[in-house]
Parts: sequence; C-alpha cells; structure tokens
Amino acid sequence: MNLIEFPLLDQTSSNSVISTTPNDLSNWSRLSSLWPLLYGTSCCFIEFASLIGSRFDFDRYGLVPRSSPRQADLILTAGTVTMKMAPSLVRLYEQMPEPKYVIAMGACTITGGMFSTDSYSTVRGVDKLIPVDVYLPGCPPKPEAVIDALTKLRKKISREIVEDRTLSQNKNRCFTTSHKLYVRRSTHTGTYEQELLYQSPSTLDISSETFFKSKSSVPSYKLVN
Amino acid sequence: MQQGWLSNWLVKHEVVHRSLGFDHRGIETLQIKAGDWDSIAVILYVYGYNYLRSQCAYDVAPGGSLASVYHLTRIQYGIDNPEEVCIKVFAQKDNPRIPSVFWIWRSADFQERESYDMVGISYDNHPRLKRILMPESWIGWPLRKDYITPNFYEIQDAH
Repeated sequence: MNLIEFPLLDQTSSNSVISTTPNDLSNWSRLSSLWPLLYGTSCCFIEFASLIGSRFDFDRYGLVPRSSPRQADLILTAGTVTMKMAPSLVRLYEQMPEPKYVIAMGACTITGGMFSTDSYSTVRGVDKLIPVDVYLPGCPPKPEAVIDALTKLRKKISREIVEDRTLSQNKNRCFTTSHKLYVRRSTHTGTYEQELLYQSPSTLDISSETFFKSKSSVPSYKLVN
Repeated sequence: MQQGWLSNWLVKHEVVHRSLGFDHRGIETLQIKAGDWDSIAVILYVYGYNYLRSQCAYDVAPGGSLASVYHLTRIQYGIDNPEEVCIKVFAQKDNPRIPSVFWIWRSADFQERESYDMVGISYDNHPRLKRILMPESWIGWPLRKDYITPNFYEIQDAH
C-alpha cells in the first residue's frame, strides 16, 4: 500500500480510534499474507510462475511463494494430478499448518480436464483428494484469472469465523482410501554395476557363491494381466 | 518388390525374417523373430547402426500380439542422409519375452522400461526392468487393448 495514501499515518487522524473485532483482525492479517506453496505438475505452473515475476507481481497481495509446505497457507494445484502423484499431494496438504486453503487451478484439477475421458491414471478432480476452496477454470487460466481467484479467496477468508473454520476442518478431512494394491517386489537386479571397474567394498565382500544364489532367487516377472 | 540391403544380407545368411515394406521415406521395415533379435541386433551394431533413434511398443490388435519397434540410424561424420532401418519384433501376449538391446544401445534403458510398463513386454537381460511411469504397485498393462481401467474412486467421473 502506498505510504502517502495510508490514512492511519495522516497527521490529522493520528489520534483516531479504530474499532474492530479480533476475528476480523485475524482474518485481515491472514488474508494479507497468504503464502502459496510452490506446487506445479504441468503447464498451469507456467502461468502461475509468471505471477511471481514483475509483470503480474503477486507479492503486492502478500503472496510470498514458499518451497516448504510447513510455511505455506495456500496450495494452488497447478497441473494434472495422477494416481502416482496423489499420495504426494495429500501428504503435502497434510504437512501444511492450519488454516490452509486450496485453489484447484485449471481444468485438470477440477474434473480431470481433457484427461477425464479414457485415462487410466488421471485423478478426476483434485477435490476427491483434498478439500477445495476456490475452483479456478481455464486450460490454463490466465494470470489475471489466478489473481481473480485469489481475490475471491481473500473475500472468503475475510468473511470467515474462526470457530466455523475449525469445525469444518475437523469434518472435512482429505479423502484417503485403500486400493488393495499390493506392493510388488522390486525387480532391480543390480547388474548395472557388473561392467564397471570399480566395485564397492560391500559387494566385494560377498563371495561369488552367495552372489549367484541371490541372482537365481530373483523372481520372474508376472506377465499375465 | 525390391529388397533392402539388410533383407538381402539376411536372405544370404538364411536368417528367418520378413520384409514389411517401406515407409513414406523409403526406409525398410523388417520383422524379426524374437529369438533371432539378440544376434541380429549385434550384427546391425557391428555394421554401423550406432544410434537407436527410438524404441516403442504397441498392441497390434485385440487378441493379437505385441510389437516392439526399433528405429536405427547409422551416424557418420559428413553424411547428409544417414542409413536408417526400422525393426519390428512381435511377441505373443501370453508370454511376451523379447531380448533387451540395452547392452548394445544403452539408450534403450528407459524406453524398454516404458514399454514394459505400458504393454508388459518383458525384456530379457534388462538390468532393472520395473515400472517407470505408473506406480510400482500398479496391476495390469494400461496400453493393452484388453486393459480394463480399475474403478477407483479417484478415477470415476467428477460430478
């Protein structure tokens, strides 16, 4: 905010009193320093990254991009989330401190986007994994659209009552389900190192007999679907 | 139909193969049996095909066989149009085993892992044949024609 326009520092109004509630003050301070997590899995992040630059400059909204989920209040899921990425996303979300907000950025994270038909691995909408506050459509959304979503999120935060938020947080947990997939034994046989001249001491200690035994015990690959 | 250099050479040495014709740039496509591929790959490398341009795999037809495709190029200095050849190796779906060319062209490493991941071709002698794109706990081969997508909650349509 421009210092000259800031009415609190005006000489004539220096003795004035501001009345507010602790709730409003808390909300105001929170929405003024939304720190987003640097999370991007595909092309949406290119648009998001341009916001960090000087042209769109989202630091003026108090958004300081954080690389650690422990310091972030907001996660913009910029990009397609696949079944392989889903556990990481849920884990990142769980590592963020309360209160935390989610903006589902782009068509992929709202419905699966162009991958929503006939894809075997795309999560159809990130709201199946984590609770979403603002849905931001676009493929990818323009940086202006991201700023619009942030404005809407700031409005939402400003109207928030602390007790409601904690109540909804307890109810609205992120979705976890067990898929009954079994983790298969790794088929890594380690024969990459066979041709190298250097051998680590640990492999040198193993006698050739045990080495061949362990090689033959490598399971054959399951080939049937 | 005219025959390419490699096809003639293989005929001379009585190696079973089949010419699948030429593509739009006049590059010969050869079908080679999975059992012969190991030795023929070495022959091609010794001849001078030192660059495996791409390796990919596909499911030919529902109920049909799987194919592993190799595009080879002979890279030399001062050559404008290098020699190229395309090799297709077919494998049956119930036991798809094809010898790995990793030890000849090292760039086949991730390509063969992806082919294993997507259509389930098992490349013999590959040093670490495991899934590369899908989660390691995934069951099934997603790019096969007979693959049925699991009805996971995350994969169901968004409402």
